[in-house]
Amino acid sequence: MSGEHYLIIGNGPAGREAAITLREKAPQSRVTVISKENVRCYQPHLLPQFIAGQVSEEELFTLPFSFFKERDIKLRLGQCVVDVDFHKSQVTMAHKEIIPYTGLIIAVGGTPRIPERCHRYRDRMLTLKTLTDARMWAEKLQKVSSALIVGGDLTSFALTRTLLAMGKRVSFLLNEESLWPVRCDDQVFREARVKLEQGGVEALRGTIQDIVRRSETSLEVTVDNKTFETGIVGAFYGLRPDVGFLAGSGLTIERGILVDEYLKTEVDNVYAAGDCAQVYHPGLKDYWVSIGYGNAENLGRIAASNLMGEKTPVETPQESILCAEGVRVNTSWWLEF
Amino acid sequence: MAGIDLTVEVCGMSGDGTIAAGGILNEAMSRQGYSALAFDSYPAEIRGFGRCVTRSRFGDRPKLALTDRTNALISLDDEQSRSRIPFLAEDAVVLFDDKPPSYVEENKSIAAHVEPTMTLYGAPFADLAAKAAGSARGRNLTALGVFAAVFGASPDVFREVITGKFAPKGEKVLRANLKSFDAGYEYALETFSKRLLNTAPPLRRTDGSRKVLTSGNTAIAEGALAAGVKLYFGYPITPATPIMEYLAKKLPERGGRVTQMEDEISSIGAVLGAFFAGTRAMTATSGPGFALMTELITHGVMSETPAVIIDAQRAGPSTGLPTKTEQSDLQAAVFGGPGDSPRIVIAPTDVAECFHYTAKAFQLAEKYQTPVIVLTDFFLDNRVENIEPPALEPEDARDGNIYPDASAKGAYRRYELTDSGISPRAVPGMEGFMFAATGLEHVERGTPDYTPANHMAMSQKRYRKIRSALADLPAPEEYAETGPLDVGVISWGSTFGAALEAVQDAQARGIRVGALKITSIYPYHEDVIRTFMRRCRKILIPELNFEGQLSGLIGHLDGTEIVRLTMATGVPMAPSVILKKIFEIVGEKAA
Repeated sequence: MSGEHYLIIGNGPAGREAAITLREKAPQSRVTVISKENVRCYQPHLLPQFIAGQVSEEELFTLPFSFFKERDIKLRLGQCVVDVDFHKSQVTMAHKEIIPYTGLIIAVGGTPRIPERCHRYRDRMLTLKTLTDARMWAEKLQKVSSALIVGGDLTSFALTRTLLAMGKRVSFLLNEESLWPVRCDDQVFREARVKLEQGGVEALRGTIQDIVRRSETSLEVTVDNKTFETGIVGAFYGLRPDVGFLAGSGLTIERGILVDEYLKTEVDNVYAAGDCAQVYHPGLKDYWVSIGYGNAENLGRIAASNLMGEKTPVETPQESILCAEGVRVNTSWWLEF
Repeated sequence: MAGIDLTVEVCGMSGDGTIAAGGILNEAMSRQGYSALAFDSYPAEIRGFGRCVTRSRFGDRPKLALTDRTNALISLDDEQSRSRIPFLAEDAVVLFDDKPPSYVEENKSIAAHVEPTMTLYGAPFADLAAKAAGSARGRNLTALGVFAAVFGASPDVFREVITGKFAPKGEKVLRANLKSFDAGYEYALETFSKRLLNTAPPLRRTDGSRKVLTSGNTAIAEGALAAGVKLYFGYPITPATPIMEYLAKKLPERGGRVTQMEDEISSIGAVLGAFFAGTRAMTATSGPGFALMTELITHGVMSETPAVIIDAQRAGPSTGLPTKTEQSDLQAAVFGGPGDSPRIVIAPTDVAECFHYTAKAFQLAEKYQTPVIVLTDFFLDNRVENIEPPALEPEDARDGNIYPDASAKGAYRRYELTDSGISPRAVPGMEGFMFAATGLEHVERGTPDYTPANHMAMSQKRYRKIRSALADLPAPEEYAETGPLDVGVISWGSTFGAALEAVQDAQARGIRVGALKITSIYPYHEDVIRTFMRRCRKILIPELNFEGQLSGLIGHLDGTEIVRLTMATGVPMAPSVILKKIFEIVGEKAA
């Protein structure tokens, strides 16, 4: 075992693939994956199907623990990094353990974005990012017959399809923020409304003013001064990079950690991959965010390879994907319902 | 295994309050209606350094042994607790202090060592205790608060137990400890609410059960008290000392007395003297002390004087491993000492039997006029079980002496050769029944005699007497279906619980296996054991000594092949070890 220690923060598809790649390319080094979520790597895009009971919990998981043990990849699950010192090349854990590294890959993904004006009734809205979230959805859906979905990210559309398949009555609320980062103008709303209603969904437009819990199975929602009842409210305002622990570290963070087309940050031996990275696009001369399971896996592999000294650029997304309704979206996820 | 079966460890450094936390945990879980079996492990040194571990197994049904895998570890000291990781179940839960007083290097935290299959619950034990109670001393109780929240146990019952323990120390101490507990409980409820969903077993059950949490040593002392012991003579030694400590408090309340002697020789001498005079007395020691007693024990055999001796075995030889368990005094208990000196040796297998067999030992000693050795071991003495409050029938406490008829007055033959070998025994003060008692070989009247025929006759009498005691000794208990068996497991002492659990597990898997519990070590029920052996293709005898001392004692009884499963590690044998051996014997792979 050499003295090198490669550290990956995040156990999603990007983190997992980075770890596997590092082990292949640096067989004598220590490889450690740290994740604040206490479960092994799973496929988050299957969470809606898990909620519907179409996919078992076991089927969500990608690789068994033994896979990592056999490859001597240390998994530290349920543990949290609170600080990174790039000068000393070390991270500080929430439990006050200091871990030095030779190379670092940040692959922490995103966390559900809740607009500030919604914070007042935050605890009455569910998000769907983690397995714990999904378990909560599954539990609550057993007791309610209707749901209000707020927002328009990829997960919200997948979940809506799941809810319909489960026989739930679904309303879908669109407003200027809910298709973040796309601006929801009249044309976007009209198109979305047609698609949603064709699928049996009631499309609404407006802004939530309040959510009041009436009972365990009933929420009273007020939208533009009109009040109606629903069983559950899901908030899907997109994701923001889960990089609070990097505040004050010196890394430049906008909608993600800024990295070049090789996924390297402005600090040597520190890379970022997956939803938390904002990747430079040489063609656009701007940054974009890659979202999606397969993309994340790919970025993880590229970051690890480049950390090992390779020079592999990220595959540039097509211009058409980056634009929607005349708005430069700078993501790769804007797909139809 | 169906139902609740949870093994919890508290691990810390001496002085962390580890044993205290374990005690509170046991009591609280017991009061909630769970079966409890617990065993503490601590360093041999008195205080100051070394690892302390309490292991407790809780269930919705009685558990017979400790398992070799722990489901929840409460770490009060990561440095010490790290060594416990290999003994954790794959899906274990680890509770630890995630805010140590200073930053630590990589791998110094227990978090660095847990397997990814395990679940970590970090809470700032010391910090919470300091904020809540003004001192971090109660961090062990904060940790218990976290445990109660994570496992859904009743906080009220914990508070009740803490109150019972600390109220005598004053309001201030009590309040500080309750606050420390509450701080951990509330923190965990708030912090871990989501994580509870998937990991917490349903640990809330109240069936009104009020079993008492009792250690083997306490049960021994209570058994002696129930039998009416009047005098205790002893010299402190681990693990027997708690018997003396307990009796030192209780015996004076009942008109008795505890005397700490200068050594074990004087202790047994005093016990023999007391019994000779007609008073129930006892002593308790461990291997090294027992070795010193053996000459006088054989004096009791020769002079046919009753005595009750507890030999609380520990790992040896010599000073050995004072705080570790072993079953390696069996041969010494049965045969130790000069000459052919038959005596009664009984070995309880659980805490309830510690009570009943200690009480029984007094009657046996009186009736058969011999030293009776109650053979326990560290694991049995120090473990606690919650058992129904033990009680003795008046018949079991009555005087066991067989006194001479008045017709013998003036012509009393103290060592009369009888069919049973039992000679009616007079005690000093009975007019007209004077006799000589000596360690020398003697004739019926007690006067010394070395003639060959007399020595042979008297030896036969002493053996005849001890063999006739079989009628009053507990017969082996069989746990098997009728008909031939592939494996018969014969076990004794503290290992029996593990053996029976392994056998029950194997039986549930369709293996033809049975267990035989032997509590009468000497004399033993030859016919019952032989009959059992003949039904078995192979006999497995698991025991905690190097060569297999029970195997050596009874292995010759039948031609059945004996498989010795011995372990001299200082730790109790887990059911899984025995189960694995059963699988090996029947040619199946362990599950």
